[in-house]
Amino acid sequence: MAKVRREAWAVLLILLLAGGAVYAHATTTTEEFSRYNVGWNGTSNLAVEEVRDLRGLPPGATLLILAPDVAFTAEEVGYLRAFLESGGRVLIADEEGNANRLLADLGSTMRVRPGNLASLERDHVDPGLFTGYPVGNATIFSGVETVLLNRPAAVTGGEPLLETSILTWDDADGDGRIGGSETFGTAVVCAREGNLTVLGDASLFVNAMLAGNPKFIENIRPVLIDAAHSRTGTANPLINAITWVRETPAAAAAFAALAALPVAWRFGRKIDD
Amino acid sequence: MNRLASHAILAAAAVLVLALLGGEAASPVLYTAENTSTAAHADPATIQKRSPGDADALVPLMDDLLGQTGTLALTIKLRDYESAERDLARYSELSRQFDRLVVTLDVSGTDIGEFQQNNRKNQEALEALLNDTRRFEDLKRLEIEVQDGEQRMAIAYEGEALRQKMREGFSAYAKREPATTRIAEHYDLNTTPYQQSVEHFAEVADAADDWRPATGGTAASPLAIAVTPAEGRYGDTLRIGGRYAGGVPGTRIEVYVDSRAAGAATLDADGTYNHPYRIGRIVAGPHLAYATAGGIYSEVATFEVLTQNTTITLALAEVNRTAVACTGNLTIGDGLPVAGAPVLIRTDDGTLAAAETDENGTYRTEIVLPGGEHTLRAEFHAAGYPLNASESPAETVRVRGEGLSPLPFVAAFAAAAATGWYLRRRRPEEEPVAKAAPVPESPGETPPQVEIAGLPPREAATVLFRALRTRLGIPETKTPRDCARIAPAHAGFFERYERIRYAGETPTDEELRAMEAEALGGGEGAA
Amino acid sequence: MIRMAGAKKYSAAAVLAAWLIIVAFFMVLNRTLDLEVFFVLALIGLLVVAVLIDGAFSRPRYMRYIGYLIAAGVALFAYIVAEKILEILAA
Repeated sequence: MAKVRREAWAVLLILLLAGGAVYAHATTTTEEFSRYNVGWNGTSNLAVEEVRDLRGLPPGATLLILAPDVAFTAEEVGYLRAFLESGGRVLIADEEGNANRLLADLGSTMRVRPGNLASLERDHVDPGLFTGYPVGNATIFSGVETVLLNRPAAVTGGEPLLETSILTWDDADGDGRIGGSETFGTAVVCAREGNLTVLGDASLFVNAMLAGNPKFIENIRPVLIDAAHSRTGTANPLINAITWVRETPAAAAAFAALAALPVAWRFGRKIDD
Repeated sequence: MNRLASHAILAAAAVLVLALLGGEAASPVLYTAENTSTAAHADPATIQKRSPGDADALVPLMDDLLGQTGTLALTIKLRDYESAERDLARYSELSRQFDRLVVTLDVSGTDIGEFQQNNRKNQEALEALLNDTRRFEDLKRLEIEVQDGEQRMAIAYEGEALRQKMREGFSAYAKREPATTRIAEHYDLNTTPYQQSVEHFAEVADAADDWRPATGGTAASPLAIAVTPAEGRYGDTLRIGGRYAGGVPGTRIEVYVDSRAAGAATLDADGTYNHPYRIGRIVAGPHLAYATAGGIYSEVATFEVLTQNTTITLALAEVNRTAVACTGNLTIGDGLPVAGAPVLIRTDDGTLAAAETDENGTYRTEIVLPGGEHTLRAEFHAAGYPLNASESPAETVRVRGEGLSPLPFVAAFAAAAATGWYLRRRRPEEEPVAKAAPVPESPGETPPQVEIAGLPPREAATVLFRALRTRLGIPETKTPRDCARIAPAHAGFFERYERIRYAGETPTDEELRAMEAEALGGGEGAA
Repeated sequence: MIRMAGAKKYSAAAVLAAWLIIVAFFMVLNRTLDLEVFFVLALIGLLVVAVLIDGAFSRPRYMRYIGYLIAAGVALFAYIVAEKILEILAA
């Protein structure tokens, strides 16, 4: 009898391990910037609070819009404007240019110009991973001497906050060296107008880059993230279902009740007791 | 499933897995997180770091160079020749560093490359200015001392030549100012010292002009000089010559280009001299030529050297497992080869190998590379040539890399031998026991009567062991292991008993029954 | 059902298999699958298991030929080590 129990324990252990692996596989994705992506290009390690409704934003908080890919309706633009006027700070991190529409609607002159910036002042072999230097005085860059950028886009307009060195060029032909019609020039990677800051590099918030700029990440906390428009969600239906259940109290209560049924059946009194 | 089948299946599976793994043994790293990157970002953990390098030294070095022009021009103007020599040495050193940096960082195609060329010309101009001013001072002193009329004329001619050199030098220097200032402002450099250097240069040239009337007239030198044609390109031959009024035929006329001796000619019977000058390693732009006959200096003639485009080719060939031979040709647009020119070969990891072209414009060099694919490019940086830089298209080559070396195999063999020796040494009783002849079973002996009911299992096993040992006729002094060797047919029984007796295991009832059957002369069923 | 006789043999095999699974799990987690590293760790596991199950007073049949297996493993290990040393010296 003891031998049977030992075998059963071994099988149970293996089943638990397999179950854990299946759970980990099913509840994570590989989508870029997703909160459920634990890989290098996800944002699962970013400690933020998600916000889906732009109405009830606390005044004085910081709102991060990370790589937006959903358009903002006129109503939402109005809420954002009210939030900005009430003293809240908005940080838009975008490297593809999708935020230009929102910036135009908010009445700002700043725009994101995507390109292939490369620089000679870098610590890595890849020419797109180079250092930027804070200029001016902004609280999000206080105490930061250099920022490690990861294939950023240039930002035009506004008051510059983060500049690259002069030995930076837009590598139009993608060969990694300057040549032909490419010329050196500093590029502005982060600019601000009042309470609205535009950062041309959304990659600063992925898991692999958080360790590269610890002071900057510390400076922007505590931060709310606009989950409805940022690319931090996922298309995976299972994860979305689990999140929905967790967030809706009625569904969570229903699940807890369902989980209690087998326990009740096992330990409850039966008719033939 | 019986044991034989299960063992056979396990053995086959093990052999199959080992064969599959053995197939991968040549490249044991089956998978690593490679250089993962998407369009938006790259994983910094998988990108190789490189030393920050000297890119941040580039712009400050340009600033230093401009500052040096200012101090050097000032010390020349103040006639502090010792400080000027020191400044010039420092300026040359900085220029050399800057040239190396520009080539290493591969930025010679940008406006920094243009700045580099202007800087080199400025350096040569300031060096010439220093030497000319010093000589000028000597002449002024000599002029006061010397009384002889002929010698005074010689001094006058030389002074006139120097004055013209300084004047031409200044005009070229000033012509370079707008471009250099424009580039310097692009990089936010301090251009004040440089602009001051232009002013100092102008003052020195003006001071030389002021001296002229004091010598009594602008008598033209009897030694005439002209350069025909007045402009040329690399490889062209210019004719530097003229007439020497009142000169003795056969006198040696020395020709100088840019204050450096370029050759000598002899005066013909009709009082003319001719020196062919081939344009070789000399920068593009305006240049000066003058001649001397004894102490008589001619006037200064200018000629212009024009730039040309070059083409460089690269061909790669494998020499052996680790080296690649790079050959190619460096020619000017119309096919004229460039001889004795330095060529750089840049490998994909940034290292540079140097080579030189021979008189046919061909270069050949061998480069040792680690195994794998490599991309190489040949570059010609027209340092000091009136030619434009050029680079060849990138060529790829596959290097096989070192073959297998015998050392690991030797190590493996030695390790196996050592392990074998160690394990043999621990079990010496293999040899003596094997010599004992196995005792034959005597059939027909009556099985001993033993009673094991009621005994604890281990004691029962002991009784059965003794019974079997007696039945087989093995002496009582033999241990279970010895019995197993002597009577291999019952090895299983004896091995099991050995574990029971000495390792404290307890036999089950089933086992005891089997052992009993065997001990009393039953079948072969080993426990 | 696990047979009583030879229980030690089976638990040794089970422990070795569990060790190999753990090693493979961590290699997959680290996104690197290196055969040489796996082989070295497996050899360590085999050596540890062989020492632990070897009784001082008896030598069961399944332990008779383990010496040859260990010798082959150590030979391959020496080959890998020599290769790595050559690699380091050449760099």
